[in-house]
Amino acid sequence: MKKFLTVLLVLVMLMGLVNMASAKVNLIMWTKEGEDALDWNKSLVEEFMKANPEVNIELVHKINVEVLREDFLTASLAGAPPDLLWTVNDHAGPFVAADVIEPVDNLFDLGIFVESALAAVELEGKYWGVPISNGNHLMLLFNKKLIAEAPKDTDELFVKGKELTKEGKYALVWNQTEPFWLVPWLGGFKGKVFAEDGVTPTLNTPEMVATLKFLHEMKFDAKIIPPECDYDAADTLFKEGKAAMIINGDWSLSGYIAALGNDLGVARIPKVSATGEWPKPYTSGVYFMLTKGISGDKLKAAQDFIAFVSSKEKQLEMVKLLNRLPAVKAALEDPLIAEDPILKGSSDQMVVGTPMPTVLEMRCNWDSMKPEMLAVLADTKSPEDAAKDMQTSAESCIKSLE
Amino acid sequence: MNTKNKTKQTNISQFFKSPSRGDSPFKRLIIHLILIVACVIAIYPVLRIISVSLRPGDRLLSTSLAIIPKDASLYSYYRIIFEKPFLLWLWNSLAITITTAFIGLILASTSAYAFSRWNFPGRKPGLFFLLTTQMIPAAMLVVPIYILAVKFQLINSYRGLALAYSVSSVPFSIWILKGYYDTIPRELEEAAKIDGASEMAAFFRIILPLSTPALAIVFLFNFMMAWNDWLMARIMLQRENMFTWPLGIWTFSGQFRVEWGSFAAASILVAVPVMVLFLYSSKWLISGLTLGSVKG
Amino acid sequence: MGFLTAEVVINTLRELGSMVLYIILGTIILEILVYVVLGKIFKSKYTLPYMLMIAAIFGITILIIYPISYEVRLAFTNMSLRHFRSYTLSWTQGLKNFGLVFSEPVLKQVKFFPLLFRTLLWTAINVVFHVSGGFGLAILLNRQMRGRGLYRTLLVFPWAIPQIIAVLAWKGEFHYEYGFINVILTNVGMQPIQWMASPFWNFVAACITNIWLGIPFMMIIILGGLQSIPLEFYDAAEIDGASRWQQFRNITLPLLKPVLTPAVVLGIIWTFNNFNVPYMINANELETTDILVTALFRAAFEYHRYGFSAAFAMVIFIILFVIASIYIRITQGLKGVYE
Repeated sequence: MKKFLTVLLVLVMLMGLVNMASAKVNLIMWTKEGEDALDWNKSLVEEFMKANPEVNIELVHKINVEVLREDFLTASLAGAPPDLLWTVNDHAGPFVAADVIEPVDNLFDLGIFVESALAAVELEGKYWGVPISNGNHLMLLFNKKLIAEAPKDTDELFVKGKELTKEGKYALVWNQTEPFWLVPWLGGFKGKVFAEDGVTPTLNTPEMVATLKFLHEMKFDAKIIPPECDYDAADTLFKEGKAAMIINGDWSLSGYIAALGNDLGVARIPKVSATGEWPKPYTSGVYFMLTKGISGDKLKAAQDFIAFVSSKEKQLEMVKLLNRLPAVKAALEDPLIAEDPILKGSSDQMVVGTPMPTVLEMRCNWDSMKPEMLAVLADTKSPEDAAKDMQTSAESCIKSLE
Repeated sequence: MNTKNKTKQTNISQFFKSPSRGDSPFKRLIIHLILIVACVIAIYPVLRIISVSLRPGDRLLSTSLAIIPKDASLYSYYRIIFEKPFLLWLWNSLAITITTAFIGLILASTSAYAFSRWNFPGRKPGLFFLLTTQMIPAAMLVVPIYILAVKFQLINSYRGLALAYSVSSVPFSIWILKGYYDTIPRELEEAAKIDGASEMAAFFRIILPLSTPALAIVFLFNFMMAWNDWLMARIMLQRENMFTWPLGIWTFSGQFRVEWGSFAAASILVAVPVMVLFLYSSKWLISGLTLGSVKG
Repeated sequence: MGFLTAEVVINTLRELGSMVLYIILGTIILEILVYVVLGKIFKSKYTLPYMLMIAAIFGITILIIYPISYEVRLAFTNMSLRHFRSYTLSWTQGLKNFGLVFSEPVLKQVKFFPLLFRTLLWTAINVVFHVSGGFGLAILLNRQMRGRGLYRTLLVFPWAIPQIIAVLAWKGEFHYEYGFINVILTNVGMQPIQWMASPFWNFVAACITNIWLGIPFMMIIILGGLQSIPLEFYDAAEIDGASRWQQFRNITLPLLKPVLTPAVVLGIIWTFNNFNVPYMINANELETTDILVTALFRAAFEYHRYGFSAAFAMVIFIILFVIASIYIRITQGLKGVYE
């Protein structure tokens, strides 16, 4: 028995020494998607591989965009990056600075894509990603059972909000922990996070102070939003019918359609009464990015796959499955979008949005806005001090990037 | 600590058990109260995980404090077993961890013997260096180890992680084992050598069998270290199919939307066997930590 | 999505099996090398101990010493996102990196010394609570009473549960709306606490989690120590008229020292280097909950300042080294290990 086991063990070990070789083109693609979108990712890859048996695409799912960014840089540093990324536009900033992705200008016919989608990956006069979807923007979603129509402006929001907020129910919820939900309001107060040059932070401005004051007022004076609310809490409150309105992105649409059905309404975030401006959510989208140095068969396979996903048919499939707006002009003009109230609401909001900055410095802006915004919402700092600290913090962060 | 003294102490403590001389009933009541409160604090968060794992899918977030929720459901368990690669993650962890624990044990057991019995050049600095390695922030070594792993094509493999774990636990293991070997009288080996056994034979036939408790402890420590590691696995494994369970559980909770049900159910399935093993062996583990330092 | 199949099992065994085979082959080669070089050429009397250690030395060199030297080298470069592929290595750059650690904010606003102070505060709070909590419970448990075994088992739970699970579960419990602490506070009519947004409370949350996690370890160690103290000592002291406190000071503490010292040293090192708790509990990435090691992780992986963070890592290591050395010197705790 003992002998037999020894022989078996040695056999198993020897088997490991034999390596299988393969003639296929192996393409590794990292994706930031999860849930439904990940399923769509997988079905695309499978369908493509069936049609192109000489190509093998390995899809690696990264659990969130931060992880994807960190891992891609570490992998590039070590010289073992994947070939293709399926990710968000703001990664172009760090990846271009680190020189780890290729410009796509000469590799694809970019004329077929919507301009605003391309604008979000333009840096140094070149385009660094091929758009998959357009939008990724925040909008106002409301539960028709609780509120028949969306408020037109913030005055109306406050009036209706006070009626709606009672007995554990809230008028409006959103992820209060991320400054991504702060920027639309800042736009409504005519503020911008960068000066004209696109890299100098302008966070200590009267507009920012007004925005922070506005949030503070909603929370502590009008009390129409919950005291502390992260993404999950907002999402749950809205799905359970305990919140009349939520500000959330296009990625969340499918979930709410499933939860609320016909009771779901989509509208623009209410106009800021003080300025008469619509809030301006950041628009961007999801993009393919190509790893620096990709060439030959791999590049060919990547181009084919990207062309496959950019086809009108696949773009409309995405619209149906995920309720995201397409990045290809031909698909955007399809009646499917104009006829669907949800998608129409979504595209209506996108029109007043503003492309999200791609530069590396944006990272510093995000990280500087976050704790200060939280401090204002926790009532531990005045809006004026918070704005001032945002600016110094962003400046010292940008300095450290050199 | 030599064996004779140890038995003597156990006898005494068995006889008296402890200094509970003349506690009044009131004092006893207070003591029980304090301990009960402490126990509740210790186990309540764990019970809450059970509670979340039993909640039906649409009410994962709830303000209820009941341990067994109304209309409890096993859906989360069903989901992670049949719809998620959870069992695969467990298997990956198990395979890597057991391999690691054995390799680490072999490396450490022989090295510790050298440290215990020979005063070779470099012994003191060596011991000191081993202690120093415990102070290195793990985050510091992550990037270089990753680069090494890429060079040797060990990313996304069982091998890479198993090698990294085996070696990283060696310094700690050597310390524990050296402490134990030191308590075994040298005369035993001398006697064996007089009988004609070689030095290595003495080690294998006398020292190793005598050290079984310490070896078991080191094995367990290595096992626990690798079983619970997140940071190293986080950089070495990128394919979901290769994940170890801590990475898997982290993916449930690290997304924009936390999958609390899957997280809780997976946690319970992982934690229960580990906790049983741990509670069963915790007395040993402790004696292992103090082996080298308590002089009998 | 993968599932556990027979094929996967065979692949695993094959991969790990071949690895073991390679290790055995490599070890044989190393052993022969040492035997020939030390034993035959230098005729060293220490050939055998070196042969016993060579595999471990080889592994440690590759997986610990090489990475350390890589980091040291990195500390003298300007590697960052903007100098990712074409970084330069120079003495002046190294000096600049070390200078930056002390002069500029480490991440955004907080500079090195406040961060160090917070780390020391974090370590002190945790270790003090671990030791005093562990001591208190150990003394209570160290007597004959009903349910002792049950208490002991239940109290060890926080240590027995895998740390990552405990930390992530605690993170969920600090939720404003659904976490049990706030639910209880609301039920008794108090204001719920903003655990995630408020810098002070977030730090407290991290401390609560880590104290909860760490007490059982100290409790068990101390309990083991208490039980090994012969009762005659106390009886003798009582005859001499010593008070309970005098007994504690003059018998319990000194006799516990050999057990307590390594445990406290380990406790300090583990707490100082604790990554999981302050990193995961800090869901909002507040700079005010960061301790040195989490700031290090962020500088390297979120801001990609590789050269700077390598220098930063050296500094952290040296601080920890100094603290541990001072503690060991004062308590003479490791006397005898070198014997």
